[in-house]
Amino acid sequence: MWWLALCPATTGPAAAAEADALLPWALQFTPRVARRDEAVLLEVQSSLRLFGGAAALRQRIEREAAELGVARWAWASTGLGALALARAGAPHQRRPLAARLDPLPLAALLGTDHPDLPTLAHIGCRTLGDLRGLPRDGLARRFGADLLQRLDEAYGLRRESYRWAQPAETFAARLELAARVETAPALLLAARRLLLQLAGWLAARQLGVTAFTLGWAGEAGEAPGELTVRTAAPSRDAEFLARLLGERLARVRLAAPVDRLQLRADAVQPYACPNAALLPDAQQQREQAQQVIERLAARLGVQRVLRPLLQEDARPERQQRWLPADAPLPRAAAQGDDGPHPAYLLDPPLPLSLRGGQPAYQGEVLALLLGPQRVEAADWPPDAGAIDPGGAPAAGSPPASASALPADAAGTAEALAAVLPMQRRDYWLARGASTGLLWVFRAPPDTEPARWYLHGIFA
Amino acid sequence: MSALPAVLHLPARLQPAVWRGSEVGAAAGAVRRSGWAALDAELPGGGWPVGELVEVLCPRLGTLEWRLLAPALRPQGDADAADGPLALVGPPHPPFLPGLLACGLTAESVLWIRAETLAERLWAAEQMLQTQATGRVLLWLPQSPPPQALRRLHARAGAHLLLALRPASAAADASPAPLRVEARLGPGWSLQVKVRKRRGPPHDRALTLPALPAALQRACAPLALAEPPASPLPHLDEAGDRRVPAGLSAAGQTSRPAAAARGLPVTASLAPAAPAGAFADNRHVVARFVSRDDRARRCG
Repeated sequence: MWWLALCPATTGPAAAAEADALLPWALQFTPRVARRDEAVLLEVQSSLRLFGGAAALRQRIEREAAELGVARWAWASTGLGALALARAGAPHQRRPLAARLDPLPLAALLGTDHPDLPTLAHIGCRTLGDLRGLPRDGLARRFGADLLQRLDEAYGLRRESYRWAQPAETFAARLELAARVETAPALLLAARRLLLQLAGWLAARQLGVTAFTLGWAGEAGEAPGELTVRTAAPSRDAEFLARLLGERLARVRLAAPVDRLQLRADAVQPYACPNAALLPDAQQQREQAQQVIERLAARLGVQRVLRPLLQEDARPERQQRWLPADAPLPRAAAQGDDGPHPAYLLDPPLPLSLRGGQPAYQGEVLALLLGPQRVEAADWPPDAGAIDPGGAPAAGSPPASASALPADAAGTAEALAAVLPMQRRDYWLARGASTGLLWVFRAPPDTEPARWYLHGIFA
Repeated sequence: MSALPAVLHLPARLQPAVWRGSEVGAAAGAVRRSGWAALDAELPGGGWPVGELVEVLCPRLGTLEWRLLAPALRPQGDADAADGPLALVGPPHPPFLPGLLACGLTAESVLWIRAETLAERLWAAEQMLQTQATGRVLLWLPQSPPPQALRRLHARAGAHLLLALRPASAAADASPAPLRVEARLGPGWSLQVKVRKRRGPPHDRALTLPALPAALQRACAPLALAEPPASPLPHLDEAGDRRVPAGLSAAGQTSRPAAAARGLPVTASLAPAAPAGAFADNRHVVARFVSRDDRARRCG
């Protein structure tokens, strides 16, 4: 049995709230977590192997506990013994438990406000060793069985029994800041504490979070604000969530100095951690591609990290759609066609100047090599834009007049043309001396003077 | 591979770093085939090296990078089937997915990062290099980055194929990239490629590599054999037909003397059934790929 006792920094009624806040975090290390007096007790004997040994577990817990505001802690082989050592602030020693507990003052075990402390001081009993030396039946008769029971439990002579804490169904944590914070990026330091608790709660419940909300408020609740961060894949990693939050906070402006923070998990999913490999691998230091993409989207903006989706259409600018990369892509049911497609497509098409009747680009007259490829399309469905959503919609080509249809057109085409504007373009493969192979079109095809546009580049 | 005297037994990971000045060295890691045997022979290791910064210099960004790099970027058969994402950081124009599919890439792997400033481009490229999978990063750098930024990218390349595309004016700048290749448009459909810096002797003559754009290969196979006209042609022929430029008329028909003298290609076999058939389903759209000879054949 190996116990850890954590005493929060504050005293008084606020200490109870702080200790309660530690419970979700502590539950990721062991299911045996209990509250006793003002402290939190953990029993970690069965978790040593999972966390890589006693030394590794100790280092990790002590580092995270310091971040969470725990003032004193102690390790011992009984719960009450660890609590007494933590209250007294004794340094860690490798000695038998009795030898460590004997020199401690009585207040360490009984608490500073125990009613029997003055009486015991009168009879010359100042340390726990003295108390242990008194006759047991006399102690029980004079001070009650409860005192004797505590003493026995601390020295390991009697078994302790606790009601273990259970992880809550939802996660919502609050934090009062020690000093008021003016700028949003400085909130990240305090938010890390809350994120550590969130990570602990997720680990205890075997969940991953996909959306969480950080809320803040000034004194007396003035100027409240909040920020919601979403991820595409569930995650449990406090470092990753802190980095995402940091990127988003860098663009937030606070209306008033902030005094208190609140974190709640909005959307969680069952999530199993990836298995660790037996041998350490340098590749494992790198992150998943999805996490990197989310970080890019957080800093550059959601509309600037994009993935394409193929669509069925005859007009080139409608054959693809660019969607934000951090959301999962819908499955594309479209298949491409065999026509020549350039590697770049300008959006919107660039009007070209004419030189001697020929289109010219960048000061060079273009040689038309191959063509024409006629693309006629009605503007149906209505233009949703090539970049979705919020990007600049693809500029429409000048609509042709409906009366220019050839005489052998089917009746449906005429009927359609009467109600919808038709676009007609003749595509040509062109070549410029220093600009490479270009894809230009002439729209409308039959009018004079010719209007040429550059649409794509075969790079 | 350089042959060292037996007395010098270097550890395996240092072997590629040592080479004789007269021989082309080896790449430090894996390589990806470039698609041309002539170019593979000039590159250390026999292909584009993975895990190092490779600079490609072009006279104008956005004119020839896919023609040069598509064979190396597409998933190569024996290599890992699960290639990581292909990140396009700051391309000069918006990429077009059907064109990239014609180059052999898959839609799931393409990632377009619209970085504008130099700092954003460098930062985004560095982040993409931190992913776990073996990915490919294409980084366009129209502005000149500080050399320590390039050194950082080179140091973090890991197992990724990292290609930085810079204007040809950057050839005079010092760069920490171990391989620098300059490419420009060559006559006809070819590209002229010269290796400016590599682990090996200086590259004397430029290579002329046939590089028809991948998207045109399916539609226009005969063009691969013939040369396109090198200078602009007059627009109208005597028939007054505005559709077809004079240069593309079949041999024997009336055309400008200059064009006929060059023996221009015939586009008669141009119309495979596929383009017409592919559009047959769209009721409201009519698209056909027409050439003069095709129409002539149909009309009798």
